[in-house]
Amino acid sequence: MEKRRLARLLALLMAFALVAAACGGGSDAGSDGAVDSDGGGDDAATTVPETDTEVATTVAPEASKFGGELVMALEAEATGLRPWEDTCSAPCYNMSIAVFDKLTEQDIDGNYQPYLAESLSSNDDFTEWTMTLRPGVVFHNGVELTGQTIVDMFALQQEGAAGSGGISAANLATVEATGDLEVVYSLSQPNSAFPATLSRAPVGMVFEPAAAAADPDGSAIAPVGTGPFMVTDRDVDNETVMTRNPNYWQTDAAGDQLPYLDSIVFRPTPDEGTRLAALVSGTVNGMHTLRQSTIRDARAEDGISLLEFQGNNVGGGMYNTAVAPYDDVRVRRALTMMNSQDKVIEALGGTGISDPATQWFSKDSPWYSDKVAAAYPGFDFPGGQSLLQEYVDDPARSDGKAVGEKIEVELSCPPDPTLIAAMQVIEQAWTASELVDVNLTNFDQQTHIGYALGAPPDFTGQHGAHCWRFSSDSDPSVDINPAVAPPTPEIAAAAGIPDIVSPLNFTNYFDGDVFTAAVAALRTDNFEERYGLYESIMLKFAEDVPGWYSGHTATMIATAENVNGFNGWLLPSGDVGIGFPAAEGRYHEVWISE
Amino acid sequence: MIKMLGLRLARLVATLFAVSVITFAMTLLLPGDPINAILPPTTERDPQIVAQIREEYGLDNNIAVRYKDWLNDAVLHQDLGTSYVTRGQKVTDQIKNRVPVTAQLALMAVVIALFFAIPIGVLGAYRQSKWDDQLTSAGMQVALSIPNFIAAIMLGWLFAIKLDLLPNTGWARISKEGLLANLKTSILPATALALTQMAIFSRLVRSDMIATLQENYILSARAKGLPDRFVLFRHALRPSSLSLITIVGINFGALLGGTVVIEQVFSLPGLGSKLLSAISSRDILMVQGITVFIATVYVIVNTLVDLLYIVIDPRIRRS
Repeated sequence: MEKRRLARLLALLMAFALVAAACGGGSDAGSDGAVDSDGGGDDAATTVPETDTEVATTVAPEASKFGGELVMALEAEATGLRPWEDTCSAPCYNMSIAVFDKLTEQDIDGNYQPYLAESLSSNDDFTEWTMTLRPGVVFHNGVELTGQTIVDMFALQQEGAAGSGGISAANLATVEATGDLEVVYSLSQPNSAFPATLSRAPVGMVFEPAAAAADPDGSAIAPVGTGPFMVTDRDVDNETVMTRNPNYWQTDAAGDQLPYLDSIVFRPTPDEGTRLAALVSGTVNGMHTLRQSTIRDARAEDGISLLEFQGNNVGGGMYNTAVAPYDDVRVRRALTMMNSQDKVIEALGGTGISDPATQWFSKDSPWYSDKVAAAYPGFDFPGGQSLLQEYVDDPARSDGKAVGEKIEVELSCPPDPTLIAAMQVIEQAWTASELVDVNLTNFDQQTHIGYALGAPPDFTGQHGAHCWRFSSDSDPSVDINPAVAPPTPEIAAAAGIPDIVSPLNFTNYFDGDVFTAAVAALRTDNFEERYGLYESIMLKFAEDVPGWYSGHTATMIATAENVNGFNGWLLPSGDVGIGFPAAEGRYHEVWISE
Repeated sequence: MIKMLGLRLARLVATLFAVSVITFAMTLLLPGDPINAILPPTTERDPQIVAQIREEYGLDNNIAVRYKDWLNDAVLHQDLGTSYVTRGQKVTDQIKNRVPVTAQLALMAVVIALFFAIPIGVLGAYRQSKWDDQLTSAGMQVALSIPNFIAAIMLGWLFAIKLDLLPNTGWARISKEGLLANLKTSILPATALALTQMAIFSRLVRSDMIATLQENYILSARAKGLPDRFVLFRHALRPSSLSLITIVGINFGALLGGTVVIEQVFSLPGLGSKLLSAISSRDILMVQGITVFIATVYVIVNTLVDLLYIVIDPRIRRS
């Protein structure tokens, strides 16, 4: 009798504990504008790669499509929501884009168009850019957007950790309000791609400077922008709730005021599997990922919509060309030739998802070059082995080892499981040559970057063969120019340009012709001319191999089937916008169907 | 008694001092310049900005001065510094915001574990070597063998995806969404954490109870005709729970630091997930602050357990 009671009690308790919590209530206008420059042809200097974004045929949803809540799972929490101060990557951009408008935005072909700006034009040599803002735009706190706003923002951007870097990279010297809504940007160097600077967070996202200055720390939590949504509750590392901005300046094609959604909840969900499971289970109705293995897993799920994007960003690695044996092009070429792209992509879970790369531009990009694709040293194990043997047998080999002795390579990646798997594939290939001793190392992301960055004054870094990502969907100058500038004061002095040193030249590769081409590309807005210049740089990369590539980075936004509007959203000009590059969504036209 | 309390307190302070020194030293041994955690990685290093940041965070001072300043602020002002990464946000505030999540998880895990472990342990002792003892022992062996992150994934799959009963991510704060919503988000992670604890506790209760049930006073109680339930829970359980209390205390402290994986799997805004992200983003002051905080709680809980032990067992008090 007693034991039966105990057994019953036990069973009852077990059932109660799990069911009790499971029960209960659910919680559950613009005018046309253009980026013009007087200095060149009709083709905007700022054309960037077109995307493979699928354009939705939906025009404007009916009034019944207004309302609803999107719960979006992001891969991380935003460090902060201060464009001028905080580092911003894909998760942060998803949140920031909902709060802040950018001065320029890309269309589906990658061209930069005015967004919060109404027009933008340059002088002949691209050192002065005149911008007119849209009239009648107000911030979430009711303050009106004027030219002086941009000037006041500049003062904060100059002091900010992120802003100061953005200003320096764009050679931005002064900002002057020349009218109520007119602003003149003066640059210290010509920059035909300046509109690209106005499309990213540190300089291009518009915030209310008085509110930011009054409470810099609070702005990380509750920033004030002009964007379609306002932050109403931010519980860092848990969820950030944003509600509809009733005074938003944009309307849809039918003239209805945007945004459609009543609210968005952003939830940081770092674990890839948990994030996808949250979408599949209905805990959230949207998520993003920058992992190919997650895209592969998502493709196997039913009942969700996948919006995939394969942009220019390319994975792979770089060689520190400032140190032996990577200072010898034979070593770099040989190691690259012995590295099977297909096997690495397979280890990354990207087979059939990620295209093998040969350059900093994907095949869909207008900057892509067949010549570069042909020139890139593809997988040729015997060829690589033979080239490396040549170095190993060279009495004047740069690493100072004896003839015939193996080279030593430190191959380092952040401790991500798929990256480690890919690293092991490379290690096996290099070791199989019997000419390489590979030392595998893993450091956390910050240390990994820190090793590549190095320390002042020379910034040569402590890395060898280092996992890395290259390129983005921005104008090529944004990524390429800092990567080819002199990496150290000595090299800069030797090249006759002592004032130009770039800590962001992580490979420490410097070639005078390459640098000259990169500079020339900022002095013209003629697309063909710029294409030729960047093609010449990519050809030189293929020849001198400062880095190796695996595949282009596929990214994805996945949603419940009734979530629409991530693609096909329109710019104020009426042109279709870029979509969702690098899993960065735009939320002003997102709507939820019945 | 007062002398003993004083000794315990002195030991507690010495332990915390040692922990803070070791943590401080270990974070300094980490490779890389803290400036890289503060400035965006792909941003050019303006020397003026870098110098300003170094001064702001005292990074130009030598190690001893930095430790002294940090300790002064921590002890005198309860200020553990400002995060390198979120710049402007106090470490103390971040800890305060996350403690309720981790503490609730740890507490719920202990309660759930005890809730099941005590009856199972008692049953096992009472029915020693019978089929039901063997069945529960086998069940506890399984619970002990499953790593809690695997349990977390399995529970999420079952209750969120298959049964659609509970969310597999997120945290509803009681202050905002009420107790029921909070329980819906906390029950799965707490259960995942509780499984291993439950197995440990039940084994402990079972073995201690088996010994207690052999005692003369138990035989005497039975001879008097007292019901088994009364004998088991009133006469045998209390003397059998001394080692259980110790283990619960030790494990509660350990759980505070041990929720890292569970918080990551369920995306919960607790101390563990913050510690993990702080380590990977090289947010040294955050790592230091959380580590010292967890160590402090651990040491305090264990001191309290020692004291409780004395209260419960008069023999220890007398000795």
